[in-house]
Amino acid sequence: MTTRGTAPVKHIDWLTFFLYLSLSVIGWLMINAAESSSDPNTTGFSFNDGAGKQLLLLVVSLVVFWIFFFIDFKFWNTFAYIIFALTLTLLVLVLPFGDKIKGATSWFNLFGFSLQPSEFAKMGTCLALASYLSYHKTKLRNRKHIFVSIGIILLPAVLIILQPDPGSALVYLSFFLVLYREGLTHWIYVIAGIFITLFILSLIYTVGSVFVLILAVSSAIYLLQEKRHWAWWITYAALAITSVIGLGLGWQQELIGAHAIFLMTLLILAFRKARFRILILGIPSILICLGFSYMSRFMFDRVLEPHQQDRINVWLRPELSDPRGSMYNLSQSKLAISSGGFQGKGYLKGTLTKLNYVPEQSTDFIFSTIGEEQGFLGSFGIIAMFLILLVRITMIGERAKSSFTRTYAYGLAGILFIHFFINIGMTMGLVPVIGIPLPFISKGGSSLLAFSMMMAILLKLDMARYAY
Amino acid sequence: MEKPVIIRIVFIIAALVLLLKVAQLQLFDKTMRSRAQATAIEKQVQYPSRGLIYDRNGTLLVYNDAIYDLLVVYNKIDPQMDTTRFCQLLDITREQFVDNLKKPWGGQFSKNVPFVFLSKIQPQTWARFSEHLFDFPGFTPRLRSARGYAQNGAAHVLGYISEVNKDQISASDGVYESGDYIGTSGLERAYEPYLRGAKGVKYILKDNIGREVGPFEGGVRDSAAISGSDLISTLDINLQVYAEQLMANKVGAITAIEPNTGEILAMVSSPSYDPNLLTINQNRGAYYAALAQDSLKPLFDRTVLAQYPPGSIFKTVVGLIALQEGVTTPYRSIRCGGGFVNAPGDIRKCHGHPAPTNISIALQYSCNAYFFTLFKDLVNKYGFRDVENGLDNFYTYLSNFGFGQKLTSEIDYEATGFIPNSAYYDNVYKNSPWYATTIVSLGIGQGELSMTTLQMANLASILGNRGFYIQPHLLKQIRNQATLPNPDFDRKKLVRIDPIHFGPIIDGMAAVVTSGTARMAQVPGVEICGKTGTVQNPHGEDHSVFIAFAPRENPKIAIAVYVENAGGGGRTAAPVAGLLVERYLNDTISVQKKPLETQILNTDLIHKNARS
Repeated sequence: MTTRGTAPVKHIDWLTFFLYLSLSVIGWLMINAAESSSDPNTTGFSFNDGAGKQLLLLVVSLVVFWIFFFIDFKFWNTFAYIIFALTLTLLVLVLPFGDKIKGATSWFNLFGFSLQPSEFAKMGTCLALASYLSYHKTKLRNRKHIFVSIGIILLPAVLIILQPDPGSALVYLSFFLVLYREGLTHWIYVIAGIFITLFILSLIYTVGSVFVLILAVSSAIYLLQEKRHWAWWITYAALAITSVIGLGLGWQQELIGAHAIFLMTLLILAFRKARFRILILGIPSILICLGFSYMSRFMFDRVLEPHQQDRINVWLRPELSDPRGSMYNLSQSKLAISSGGFQGKGYLKGTLTKLNYVPEQSTDFIFSTIGEEQGFLGSFGIIAMFLILLVRITMIGERAKSSFTRTYAYGLAGILFIHFFINIGMTMGLVPVIGIPLPFISKGGSSLLAFSMMMAILLKLDMARYAY
Repeated sequence: MEKPVIIRIVFIIAALVLLLKVAQLQLFDKTMRSRAQATAIEKQVQYPSRGLIYDRNGTLLVYNDAIYDLLVVYNKIDPQMDTTRFCQLLDITREQFVDNLKKPWGGQFSKNVPFVFLSKIQPQTWARFSEHLFDFPGFTPRLRSARGYAQNGAAHVLGYISEVNKDQISASDGVYESGDYIGTSGLERAYEPYLRGAKGVKYILKDNIGREVGPFEGGVRDSAAISGSDLISTLDINLQVYAEQLMANKVGAITAIEPNTGEILAMVSSPSYDPNLLTINQNRGAYYAALAQDSLKPLFDRTVLAQYPPGSIFKTVVGLIALQEGVTTPYRSIRCGGGFVNAPGDIRKCHGHPAPTNISIALQYSCNAYFFTLFKDLVNKYGFRDVENGLDNFYTYLSNFGFGQKLTSEIDYEATGFIPNSAYYDNVYKNSPWYATTIVSLGIGQGELSMTTLQMANLASILGNRGFYIQPHLLKQIRNQATLPNPDFDRKKLVRIDPIHFGPIIDGMAAVVTSGTARMAQVPGVEICGKTGTVQNPHGEDHSVFIAFAPRENPKIAIAVYVENAGGGGRTAAPVAGLLVERYLNDTISVQKKPLETQILNTDLIHKNARS
C-alpha cells in the first residue's frame, strides 16, 4: 500500500512518461543534427556544443523529475500562490538585472547557463490558476471570479511583454482553455473566433470585400431566423452570386450599397413587425463588426511597426514580402521540410540542415530538421505523439478525484497545445512566425527544465488517485 | 456535447491541420518537390543601363562602359586554388586577397551567400581573368556599367556618378542599395531619376553546390530591368570645347545662352579636368584626391559657384532701371570732369573720355560719374531721407533680373550671388544713418554686389531679348518624351522694363564694340553688342569681364566671359567672347582674326601669376 510521500513506480502513468521521455530524446538527437553542420567535430556529448548541453539538461531534468516524486502532492496546491509569487519576482528582477539577447531582456546568466524566467512563470501561473479555480467557492459564472482568473493570467503576460517578448506572452492565452473547461461560456470563444477571422480577412482582402461579407452574412442570419418567403431567398441568392462575380471585378462600393439596401429593407420590416430584440442585438453587432474590420486594416497600416507588419505579411500576404528578407526564414524552412519527402533524407543527412540554410534551426525552427531528415513519416510521428500526449493529459484531468489536479492538467494541456500548434504551424507558414519553442524538442535548457517540472507535477498529482 | 470532448476535438482538428500542411509540403506539392535539391534562393539584381547624354546636335557625350564586380561564395572556394596566379590575374596583392575574404560572418555576411570580393574591375583586366574563371570555383562575375566620355570637355556640366552613401540609401525608399551609383553633380545629378532607369530582379533557386535549379516560384516575382532615358543636352559641344581651349591656362568662367530659348550653349569653368578621370574605376579615388587638393580648384564649378562683383557691365542694368523709373531721360547729359564728387572730400575717379552727352555715350565710354548720378537719383527717388524705399524699389528690379537668387532648377548647388536691400544696410550700419552716397559704389557694379557668370550671361540674354528671359537650362529633351520635365523651360519671365528703354542702352552696347572699350570683340559681318567690366581686385590684377549678345537683332547667342586677374575687360574677356560668337555664328574663325586667336590660346595667366 502506498503512503503519500514515497512514489511507487507502478502507479505512474507510463504512457505519458514514455511520450515525455521520447520527445525529449528525439529533441536532443535533432539538435545534434541541426548543430552538427556548423562544426563537423561535434558528437552530441561534448558539453561545449548545443546538443551536449541539452543532454546534460535532460539528465538534470530527469533528476528533478525524480525528486518531485518524493514531494507530497498536497504541496503543490498549498504552495501554488507562493510558487506563483516567486516566478513573478523572477520576472520583475529580470527586467533590471537580466541579459539582453536579440533585443529582449529575458535571461539571467548563471554559471554559463541561461535561465529564462518566462518559461518557469508558466508553471507558476498554471499552479496558481489551478488552485484558484479548484477552490470550492470559485464560480466562473461570477463576474468577479472571472476577472480574478484573467488577472492571474495577465499579470505574468504583461511582465513578459515588458521584456519585450510578445511571443512568450501570447502563450498565456492558452489558459483560456482551462477557463472553458471550468465553466466559462462558449460564446466568448465564438466571438473571439469571429473577430480573429475578421482580422485575417481584412488583411488578406480589401476592407470593402469584408464589408460585403459582413452585410451578406447578417442578412442570411436574419433570413434564417425569420423563415421568410422563398422570394426573399431567391433575391438573396441573386445578390450573393452577383457579389462573388462583382468583387472580382472591383465593384466594391456598388455591392456594399446593394447589400446595405437589402439589409435595411429587412430591418425596416423587422421594425414594423416590432421585432425589437433582433434590432437591438443585430444593429450594434453589425456596426461593431464593420468598425472592427476597418480598424484592423487601419491599425495594421498605421500603428504596427514595419517589422511587425513584415511578420504578418509573411503569413497572410507573402506576395508583399522580400524572399531574401523577411520571408527568408520561412521559405528556407518550408523548402527544408518539403525536401524531406516521404521518407526523409536520413539522420544527419539533411543537406539544408548541414549547410545552415535555415536560420535558428535548433531552436524555433527545429521542426524543419525533423521534416527534412525524417520526412513525412517523422513529421507524422511527432504530431501524433503530441496529439496522444495532449489527449492523455485531458484524460488524466478527467479521471482525477481532486479538482485541483483536473484544472492543473487542463492548464498544462493548454500550454503544450499552443506551443505545439504555433511552433509547428509557423515553420510551414500556417501561423505567423512567433518565436516560441517546441516543447521538449527545441534547444533551450529553461524550456526543457520547466516543461519537465510541469510534467513531473502532473504525474505526481495523478498518482494521488491511489492515495485514498 | 461535453466540454472535454469538444476540447479533444479541437486538439484533433489542430493536429489534422498540421498534418495536412505537412502532407501538402512533403507529399503533394509538386513545385516544392521538384526542387528537392534546391538549397537557396538567390536574388540576382538586373542592373539597367544608364541613359546616354547627347549634345544639341546629336553628338554623343556620355556613354556606358562595361565594368565588372567579382562575387564569391566563401564555402565554395576551392581550398587548393592557386592564389598566386589568381592575384596576378587580377592585379591584387596577397594581403588584399586575404582582406577581401575576411568578413564579419553572421549578420550581413554568410559563408553560403555571395558577396562582392572585388569591385570595379576594368574590361582589360577582366578579359585576362575571365579566361581562367573556371579554375576558381565559387567566384562569379557581375556586369555593371561605368560612364565613358566621348569628348574631353564639359566635365562640370555633365557631372559624375559615385556610390550612394547611407543617407541616400535610407532616403530613397528602397530605390538604392549599397554599391549602387547615383549622379553626384551636373546633369547626372539633375536628371538622376530619368537616367538611372529601374532595376530588375530575378530570384533563382540553387542547389547545394551552386548549380541553378530554376526560377523561384516559376519566376512570377521576377522583373526585367528598364534602361534609363537618354538626355539631349542644350550644349553645343564644339562651342564648349573651343571655349575650354580658349580658357586654357586662365582662371575664370564662361556661360553662353541662346537668348530666345534660355538654352545653355556652353558652360566653362576653368581650370577644368578630363571627365574620364572621375569615371568609376579603381584609380578614381587617387584622381579625385589630386583634383580636390589642387590649389586652382578644378572641381569647383566657377560658372555657378563663383560669385564675382559684376563691375561695369552692371551699368546697363542701372541705366535701364533709371529710364523705367523716369529719373532720367536717354538724352540727359551729365558732366564728367574725370571724377565724381560723391560727397565733400570723397571724389571717385573716372578715366578720360569724351563728354557723356547721352546715356549711349556714357555706356560706350563706361563713364563712372554718369551712372553714379543715375544710381543716386534712383535711390533718392523718394527723397534722400527715404533711401530705404528707393533702394528696395531698385532691389525689386534686380530680383526681376534674376540676381540674388538661383536661376536654374537643374543645378541645386548653384550659388545665388548677392544684392543688398535696405534691411541689409540697416543691419550693417546699425544705429547710424546711411545715404545714397554711402552705397554709391553699387551704381558701377562694385561694393557688396556679387553675381555668378550664369547670371551675367542671363543679363546679356535679357538685353538681347529686350526685356525677358527664359530660365536657363541644360536639358533640351528627354528622348522619347514629348514634354519637358519643367514647364519653366519655355515660359517667358518679364523683367518689367519697357522694351522702348532698351534702345539707347543697346545703341551704347553696339558702340562699345565698334568704337568703345571692346573693339577686340569685333566679328567681321556680325553686329555684336557688348559691355566690358574691369573689376578692382585688392588681391592682384583686376578681373576682366565682358557680356555680349549677337547679332543685334534676333540674337542667337548671349555670352558672359569672366577671366580672373586678366586686367581690363576689353583686354582678355572681350576677345574671347568675340571668338566664341564668331565660332558659333560662322562655324569658323576668319583669317584676319587668326592672330588674335593664337594670341589668346597662348596667353598663360596661371603660370605668369605664379612666377610673379
